[in-house]
Amino acid sequence: MLIQCLNGLVYGALLFSLASGLALMFGLRRIVNFSHGALYMLGAYLGYSIATKLGFWPALVLSALALAGLGALLDAAVFRPLQDRDPLIILLVTFGLALIAEDVVQTIWGNDTHSLAMPALLAGIVELPGSSFPVYRIAIIAFGLLVAGGLSLWLKFSRVGLFVRAASFNPTLAAIQGVDTDRVSLMVVAVGAALAGASGVVAAPILSLAPSMAADILVDSFIVVVVGGLGSLTGAFITALILGQINVLGIVFAPEFTALLPFVIMVGVLIWKPTGLAGNRV
Amino acid sequence: MTPLLHYDAVEACYGHAQILHGTSFSVDKGASVAILGRNGVGKTTVVNTLFGIARLTGGTIRLAGKPLTRPRPYSAARAGVSVVIQGRGILQNLTVRENLLLGAATRRRGPWNLQRVYELYPVLQERADAPGTALSGGQQQMLALGRGLMANPDLLVLDEPSEGLAPVIVDELAVVLNRLRAEGTTILLIEQNLSLVERVAEDFFVLSKGRIVDQGKIAATGRAELQKHIAI
Repeated sequence: MLIQCLNGLVYGALLFSLASGLALMFGLRRIVNFSHGALYMLGAYLGYSIATKLGFWPALVLSALALAGLGALLDAAVFRPLQDRDPLIILLVTFGLALIAEDVVQTIWGNDTHSLAMPALLAGIVELPGSSFPVYRIAIIAFGLLVAGGLSLWLKFSRVGLFVRAASFNPTLAAIQGVDTDRVSLMVVAVGAALAGASGVVAAPILSLAPSMAADILVDSFIVVVVGGLGSLTGAFITALILGQINVLGIVFAPEFTALLPFVIMVGVLIWKPTGLAGNRV
Repeated sequence: MTPLLHYDAVEACYGHAQILHGTSFSVDKGASVAILGRNGVGKTTVVNTLFGIARLTGGTIRLAGKPLTRPRPYSAARAGVSVVIQGRGILQNLTVRENLLLGAATRRRGPWNLQRVYELYPVLQERADAPGTALSGGQQQMLALGRGLMANPDLLVLDEPSEGLAPVIVDELAVVLNRLRAEGTTILLIEQNLSLVERVAEDFFVLSKGRIVDQGKIAATGRAELQKHIAI
């Protein structure tokens, strides 16, 4: 049971590190980014290629940086020009970008699954009462907590964090105070994309790399963002942890309902509290 | 002398709805000017055009002689214009202190900082960690004005600052605005409360259907004449 709970935390941490970027982007740009899962997938594949030459840690850093650049490009070329258009257009465009990314991955890396070796530093096992647990999986939980803590501190105590919080609540009001909301948005999308890329690399040693990996986790990420409260990091954190437990414990205790349960919870929460659990912005 | 703010035949719209139809007026440095007009004539659009919220479709806006060809909300702020918007615009997800710090986003140098705003309004320091919207209406107006001052503006624009305030609070506001003006801040006041206008502004422009239709000195114009311009 303890092992299952820990595995739930591992998945919850991964979900949060991916969904946090999605939540930040929605909070600031009011966009539903269907290509976010593709950023995660590209990060994983890029990390795989870099790791084969330079090892895991450079792959983690370089992949996150590359995805940050891609995120900045995405914001400047897609999100900003389309921000005042019908949300359905952005949804369709980002969905199209996700399909393109999947094709690119299939062209470069093929349809076969790949795996990335975990770093030697984290390759051990931790002995627990009655069982054991991989150190790498504990490191993933730590990664999720690090992302949550880092983002919270950044948003709460930095000057840019103040601007992000202001702009996510009322972008026009923030802008007339002198906040360059375009630049802040670019930064946030870049950070969100970097987190997606880093999450892909972090997940790669425990999940298989396949072109379908984007879609697999994207749905759960959207549930995290919607149930948590659109744009809310705190809500996303709580929901990711709950969803992680549901996913893992569901497989053990009610495998026939595991796929269904997150959607049932989402519908229930939205009926009970349409603004989501936290119900406010970043 | 080059005016600090100059509107020359400005036309502006929201979407396809044109609101300003050739609005022209000037505000000199150090002046205190009121824009009067009935509800819905485009007074707030005058401000919104300066900040790029309403789309500038014709004419020219000049700030200290420099044309704002494509106004953006943050470009006007960075050029030294600070606005206290109608309804105050206090962000509920920020504390009082954070709302004030947001006002310093432009990092313009000048006499105003957090400490000086706290000296002006000690209640803001006492409630520094409370959510901005937890303050009373009068305190929120202090916060909005304090946030505007944190930008160390050359031009302070106030859109209906007395709205919803008790007369005693409006009196205090008039004292503070006169003090600011005495210290050299240029003030553009959009207001329907003549009691405040008469105490703060020297000159006035009357806006009607998106055009300036009258102007003059407040002191030389009777209350009845001014009242005529703002009667609903």
